[in-house]
Amino acid sequence: MSGVKLSQLVKRYGDLEVVKAIDLEVQPHEFVVLVGPSGCGKSTTLRMIAGLEEISGGEVTIGDRVVNRVAPKDRDVAMVFQNYALYPHLNVADNIAFGLRIRKTPKDQVQKMVAEVAEILGLTPYLDRRPADLSGGQRQRVAMGRAIVRHPLVFLFDEPLSNLDAKLRSQMRAEIKRLHKRLDVTSIYVTHDQVEAMTLADRIVVMNDGAIEQVGTPMELFLNPVNTFVAGFIGSPPMNQIRAEISGSSNAPVAKIGDQLLPLPASADVADRMGADVTVGIRPEHAEVHSLGTSPLNVELELVETLGSEALLHTKLADTPFIIKTETEEHFSTLDQVSAFSVNPHQIKVFDIDTGRVLGQAGA
Amino acid sequence: MMNWNLYSRGDKFFAIVVSVLVGMFTAATLYPFIYIAAVSFSSGFAAQAGKVVLTPIDSTLEAYKYILIQPEFWLSYRNTFIYTIGGTIMSLLFIIPGAYALSRPQLYGRRFLNLFVAFTMWFNAGLIPFYLNMRDLNLLDSMFGIIIGFAVNAFNIILLRNFFESIPESFEEAARMDGANDFQVLWKVFIPLSKPAIATITLFCIVARWNGFFWAMVLLSSEEKIPLQVFLRHTISNLSDDDEFAMTQLEAAYSAETVTAAIIVCSIIPVLLVYPWIQKYFEKGILLGGVKE
Amino acid sequence: MQSESRLSKIGYHLRREWQIYVMLLPTIIWFIVFLYKPMYGLQIAFKDYSIFRGVDGSPWIGFEHFEFLFSNDQFIRAFWNTIIISGLNLLFGFPAPIILALLFNEILHATYKKTAQTIVYLPHFISSVIIAGIVITAFSPSVGIVNTVLGWFGIDSIYFLTKPEWFRPIFVGTGIWQEAGFGSIVFLAAIAGVNPSLYESAVVDGANRWQMMWKITIPSILPTILIMLIIRIGNVMEVSFELIILLYQPATYSTADVVNTFVYRQGIQSGQYDFAAAAGLFNAVVAFVLVMIANTLSKRYSRTSLW
Repeated sequence: MSGVKLSQLVKRYGDLEVVKAIDLEVQPHEFVVLVGPSGCGKSTTLRMIAGLEEISGGEVTIGDRVVNRVAPKDRDVAMVFQNYALYPHLNVADNIAFGLRIRKTPKDQVQKMVAEVAEILGLTPYLDRRPADLSGGQRQRVAMGRAIVRHPLVFLFDEPLSNLDAKLRSQMRAEIKRLHKRLDVTSIYVTHDQVEAMTLADRIVVMNDGAIEQVGTPMELFLNPVNTFVAGFIGSPPMNQIRAEISGSSNAPVAKIGDQLLPLPASADVADRMGADVTVGIRPEHAEVHSLGTSPLNVELELVETLGSEALLHTKLADTPFIIKTETEEHFSTLDQVSAFSVNPHQIKVFDIDTGRVLGQAGA
Repeated sequence: MMNWNLYSRGDKFFAIVVSVLVGMFTAATLYPFIYIAAVSFSSGFAAQAGKVVLTPIDSTLEAYKYILIQPEFWLSYRNTFIYTIGGTIMSLLFIIPGAYALSRPQLYGRRFLNLFVAFTMWFNAGLIPFYLNMRDLNLLDSMFGIIIGFAVNAFNIILLRNFFESIPESFEEAARMDGANDFQVLWKVFIPLSKPAIATITLFCIVARWNGFFWAMVLLSSEEKIPLQVFLRHTISNLSDDDEFAMTQLEAAYSAETVTAAIIVCSIIPVLLVYPWIQKYFEKGILLGGVKE
Repeated sequence: MQSESRLSKIGYHLRREWQIYVMLLPTIIWFIVFLYKPMYGLQIAFKDYSIFRGVDGSPWIGFEHFEFLFSNDQFIRAFWNTIIISGLNLLFGFPAPIILALLFNEILHATYKKTAQTIVYLPHFISSVIIAGIVITAFSPSVGIVNTVLGWFGIDSIYFLTKPEWFRPIFVGTGIWQEAGFGSIVFLAAIAGVNPSLYESAVVDGANRWQMMWKITIPSILPTILIMLIIRIGNVMEVSFELIILLYQPATYSTADVVNTFVYRQGIQSGQYDFAAAAGLFNAVVAFVLVMIANTLSKRYSRTSLW
């Protein structure tokens, strides 16, 4: 099993740099998800690993081989495409076997391998069907079957679930996860959907504007985003970000939001910015409305969005939209009377107002 | 689309007028064919007297007999089959790989090469230089010359290239990652995916070859090489001036006109036979080409 | 350093992609041999060409052929005939398929519509030789149906194909008969692309079919009409000379002879290759300029270019 290493990888289209010298090491067996808004360079990065896009600078290493000048077919990687790229004129079995036949695998072996893969993916009853006669989820599975059957060193996924409806998407998410557990092949997965990233990844790589913003496990990214971009991208709904002024004293700093005061965790970075503006980040999940702690903040409730076990309270805090996520159980009847929340100071993030970088956090 | 029962009286009147107009145009389109068929089955005498309007008068097959016993007729028929089949295959052999290559984004100088092909649609050297060129190439009076000399045209290449370009890139990429080279991508992926477009181009080639007249007339001089259309032309234009023919028709039940009509019928029949098959494709096909964003 | 890496890049590219160049090569060679080499041969328009000396060996004579051409009454007549016949084709032949498409669109009965379409598309697939044969038979003075019908009204037989004043109406009419049906396909497709909810809301607003045709269908297909018109204008110099060769005769040259038939007679029939090539070159240059203008117009008005 091999890992994948990107060093100072660059993609340029004329003067436009769409991937800006990124470094990344994917460990063998690891499932890494590249996530970011569209146009952030994640797909281009994946396509450079696949060999579908020429590399403008830097190196891609698969295993211990630099593959910059290796044709896609010789890189021993397999890719699942967004639109599946299933050949409409071939049935499921022939679609799965396409790559094996091109590589002149002996006939009986092809049959055995196809049957095996069909078994794993639950496609055995559909082997004679054409793609047009399959459901979205089945097509998705055929596309994966085509990748699996070749036993590649690395799987590449390019937004494979974006053509499915929400329900199928979560089903297929679980299936991909199971598959990875079973096959244990190094996988690189591109998506713009942070929920997919959170649920699938061993590690997530958040990209923006051609550069990597942060690499970490899903929970690291959720709890300790290094900047406002990651904070705003990971989590659903994303972290609330409010402009505030630091005041109080260096060992008991507070954020002044409008005319309300919010105690902050003490740190040297925060103390340095006494009197200056910062961005305060509070996760919707961390705002507590049922048993208010010390120094609660008053909010103006505008709308309650009920999701079932949870509800989203759309409020205004000092004229800035502020979303609170809370449980509905036992409290449902009183939700429309919420007028304040409190938050544990240790769950508050403080970001530099200009650079967006987190303040007072080790390693930041 | 619209429901007759919901039509107002005015709309119904309008619809009836439209149906009648379309019916008249259709009848006008069809009539010459019926008329020609009627003439071909009429006696020369009745035709000469201008009696034939819709149905054969003094029905006879003499005109057909006259034409069908001529070995030159059958020879030219055979030649047309050779030109049509050979020419169409030759065209596809050039056009399909050429259009594929021109559709590939990785082709160096792709813009220039596409312009190189398209330019010939807007500017061509004309009859004389083309003719002299064929002569310099020693392709006058050559069956191969007819087949190769008109094998490619820019329009068909561009039509197919546009179709290839509309195939999602991922089909090619998936095949490449599976280890396919360009020939395999073309043969195993692009051609099966482009069946309608290729059928359309095949059709255009077949029709052009079957109907091809001018250059066959200009380039071919041997009687045994001419295609049906040239034979038809010779026969039609010679009959009326041919004294010997005028002599024979005095006793025969055919005339120059009925024989002409019979030849026309004989050469339209194959077109009519393939027409239903053709029709399936050309409506789509004509829209494939044309305007490109 | 820079150039070396560039060279290795090209080498890598060719090693990886050589197959598409192999696929393209036959087509490129064909274009050079059969279409570009004749363009090189066009220089005989400026030469005193003789078959024995060949294109390269013949001496240059400048614009002599063109001077002769522009003082040649037959050529000038052919040039104007080309413009006039094209103009008539445009005037009568261009609206015909549009009207036909609009009519087809109003027919509710699916089988009737399909049958009518099948029939009117048919003449497009018939060769010019046969078309000419049909025309010659139908207009013949003795057997021709046209004269038979005129006879019913007591009108004497007319030998239409020898009368210069009848050539253009017959030619343009034949063109409409042959191509109007097939030409309607493009407009029918444009009509099919009109959003059906436009009609539905018009019905709700109380519009009748006639009003819908004028207020919805025609404005919606206007861009298509415009593009097709521009293409037609760009092709003004392209008269289907094959059919003219088959239908005209010396008696009707005065109205029927176009530049391409002139070139054919002078060049291929009389062997004045250099002079005929000059006439052809003139035609090709005018046509090229027209096509370029048409494309510029099309780009401006529709943001789609013709290629």
